[in-house]
Amino acid sequence: MVEGVRRLGLVALLAWGASLMMPPALAADAPLERGPFAAALCGDGAAQTKAVEAFLHRAAEAEAAEIAWAGAALRALLDRRLACLGETALLLDRTGAAEGVEAATGTARPAAGGRSPVLGLRQRALVETASGAAALLTGPSVEARRAGLSILERRIGAVPEAFLLRAASAETDPGLRASLAAVAQSAALSSPDPARRLAAIRAVSEAPSGAAFSRLSALKTDAAYGSDPAFRSALDAALARVERAVSIGNGLAVLYNGLSFASILFMAAAGLAIIFGLMGVINLAQGEFIMIGAYATYGVQEVLRRLAPAWLDAYLLAAIPVAFLASAGVGIAIEALILRHLYRRPLMSLLATWAVSLFLINGVRVAVGSQNLQFAMPSYVSGGVPLYADFVVTWNRLFAIAFAVATLALTLVILKRTPLGLDIRAVTQNRDMAACLGIRTRRVDRLAFGFGSGLAGLAGVALCPIYSVNPGMGANFIVDSFMVVVLGGVGTVAGTLVAALGIGSANVLIEPLYGAVAAKVIVLAGIILFLQRRPEGLFAVRRRR
Amino acid sequence: MVEFTRRSLLGTAAALAAPALIRPAWAADTVKLGCLFSSSGTMANIEGRLNHVVRMAAEGLNAKGGVNGRRIEVVTSDPASDWPLYAQIGRQMLQQEKVAALFGCWTSVSRKSVLPVVEQNDGLLFYPLHFEGDENSKNIVYVNSPPASSVLPAVDYLMGAEGVGAKRFFMIGSDYVWPRTINKQLKAYWTSKGVPETAWREEYVPLGFSNFQTLVNQIRSFAAQPGGQPIVVLTVVGSSIPDFLREFANQGIRATDVPILGLDMVEADLEGLDTAPLVGHLNCWAYLQAAKAEANTRFLSEWAAYVKAKSVPFSADTVIDPMVSAYDSVQLWALAAAKAGSFDVPEVRKAFPGLSFADPSGYTLTMGAENNYVARGVFIGSVNEKQGFDILWQSPDAPKPVPFSPYG
Repeated sequence: MVEGVRRLGLVALLAWGASLMMPPALAADAPLERGPFAAALCGDGAAQTKAVEAFLHRAAEAEAAEIAWAGAALRALLDRRLACLGETALLLDRTGAAEGVEAATGTARPAAGGRSPVLGLRQRALVETASGAAALLTGPSVEARRAGLSILERRIGAVPEAFLLRAASAETDPGLRASLAAVAQSAALSSPDPARRLAAIRAVSEAPSGAAFSRLSALKTDAAYGSDPAFRSALDAALARVERAVSIGNGLAVLYNGLSFASILFMAAAGLAIIFGLMGVINLAQGEFIMIGAYATYGVQEVLRRLAPAWLDAYLLAAIPVAFLASAGVGIAIEALILRHLYRRPLMSLLATWAVSLFLINGVRVAVGSQNLQFAMPSYVSGGVPLYADFVVTWNRLFAIAFAVATLALTLVILKRTPLGLDIRAVTQNRDMAACLGIRTRRVDRLAFGFGSGLAGLAGVALCPIYSVNPGMGANFIVDSFMVVVLGGVGTVAGTLVAALGIGSANVLIEPLYGAVAAKVIVLAGIILFLQRRPEGLFAVRRRR
Repeated sequence: MVEFTRRSLLGTAAALAAPALIRPAWAADTVKLGCLFSSSGTMANIEGRLNHVVRMAAEGLNAKGGVNGRRIEVVTSDPASDWPLYAQIGRQMLQQEKVAALFGCWTSVSRKSVLPVVEQNDGLLFYPLHFEGDENSKNIVYVNSPPASSVLPAVDYLMGAEGVGAKRFFMIGSDYVWPRTINKQLKAYWTSKGVPETAWREEYVPLGFSNFQTLVNQIRSFAAQPGGQPIVVLTVVGSSIPDFLREFANQGIRATDVPILGLDMVEADLEGLDTAPLVGHLNCWAYLQAAKAEANTRFLSEWAAYVKAKSVPFSADTVIDPMVSAYDSVQLWALAAAKAGSFDVPEVRKAFPGLSFADPSGYTLTMGAENNYVARGVFIGSVNEKQGFDILWQSPDAPKPVPFSPYG
């Protein structure tokens, strides 16, 4: 979303920059010489650094037209749309275009043989900051200018204070002006004026983060900390406030991580709980049903790309029924062809499902290939938003959590509120008695197997934005899902939910303390100990034999 | 082409009991090369490509009349990312298939498990990955670079003024021998440069791990602490790499804040990722797809044509260093066998010193008399928007390999 806006802003900026291609208007002092500036951008790292730093320092006084021009050149350098022919730099419309315009003069020229410089990391940071500064001052829309400001905030130390003041006075949008003032205020931490410093400390502590804590802590070595009691108490109060906020933020992050891992575990295990609970079939192909769901999602994406590109962003939602039906269909076919002959032989069905899993993996590998599939990531599943202190909510995980909640609701409704659910529960509790009462248990088995496979297919949809999708992806989930099902108690959705939450949050809590490897070991050992005490798991379905 | 699986292993074992009559008579005018690359498990997406490259190289040689008048036959297998299985299949290939040389392994743990097998049988294994060094077996040809000519130049670059002046390091790796040894050497290297121990952190995850939320949170709080520019030294392997990168980008960290040096990161790991928020992260290899050399253009088009002709299930436009190194391995073996006029391992080994081959990277590979290492060039790549790497820096020539690290 932000990226799109930024790009739009860039296009507008370029168009606007192009309309300004008049002879360079001279600023009062230190005009930006276009030729040498463009040549420096084509130079080595040192030359780039020097020119861009000089530009940043001059940006407080330079004319808006000059800044817009430089901004366009810098943006082109970032996007590798700057082609260098010796000393002259050409601006291209897109990377590798055959023709461009000379950056300094605006005359069109073929770009054949041009070299597109690759920015080193240090130069990239600097060029990003400078182009952010240009966007903040000369961006045509509020969004473009706000995007510029957010780039500047990442490296506020490199921005001269005078520039921020100029940008604040030139800004017309009141909201953006207020955020600019706040940024300018917090940039004054080392100002000689004590009052401004206190204001800066307050401003920094109002946007708490680990980085803010480090910036404030650095002030403890300042001379004023020992001599000025007002400064000292303000700093101590601010540090305490930031520290508290950061630890709350970290606590929230742990909760969120636990919840998101649990939601993945739950989705992978929900279908298995039904299949294992109802039929006692240890289905080792459950991971492959997840994979089929993910591949169905890919198929939906490709169909939409061809037929309705405008709706491409909605492919994850459109894939929900498709993935469910695809996995359910494969599941029902497997039940009808293989498993129904093996119901009285659990060991055989275990081996048969393992064979099915190998067959599905290799079938997909032959048909589609083993590379990771390429998904277009709509804005609702990419990036994240900083919510509080250092706590970032990532959209793909939030999507998975919402999806898991919906899966849970769907499962409960089907099990508790539909005739099929009633049949499934009856057969789970006492197969023979249910058969005596006229329930066609074979049919229930088939539908339940299809339903369980379909739930795995849904998990595949939710996992697309989080994990890599390839034929072998299912193998990652099978062990974890069995752990969840066995711990939760065979055949209960509530047990599966509680077990997923427990395993997910235990992993996340132990990981920072002892590392990810030990976390797995400790969780597994814990489960084994628990099952020694309660072999039936957390919630056991009462059965009559 | 013979496919090896667990099942066919059993089959071959049974066939062994039968009289040797079933051995094909045409074996006289062919020579067999064996591949040990997984096409299933966590390494499948990247290792699987190498089987096809070896076949392509062999076909190229066959088209020119083979080696020593014999056609090359390639035997492939699937060790399924299961380390002991590499040794088992390797033994099978050497003893029963009588392959002249093995080409295989990606992870160091798989090489370590094949090592005793090739030593006992006096076989020859060409290993196409850059790795932790500290090993020199007469039965293994180390076609890619030890740390002194791959990792250390890249870390130096990042610590220097030209890079970012890195002062603090977050090491995160998969839990096995390569990441642990690399990190041990790096720590000793930093100590020798006067970097204090408080400036680094070390974390390991199980192979195939994918839930990187907590670790990326930790990296963010590490980066927020004072003490200078932080970087991430990433030694996770396989499918963990794209999963880590995705989480890293989603939590809003950019390369200009905390750059990642991905030591096992190749073009293929970026397939399926939106790389716009990842631009600027680094890797270091002896070959990058963007290498400017005529041999590279030729290799790229040869691979694209091969993928199309054989409908290979991998991308036609993605070529990664280990693919080129596997290709180089076959060429080096062919050169040595031709020079020796024999396929016997001791003879072929004697022919190694003085071999040279102009490979797709644009450097000339050479082998010396002191060890079984190959001198390669050094590239530092920077992720671009188009799921590839731009060349940020490359060495003026191919440095002489240093097998045993003075650090750690």
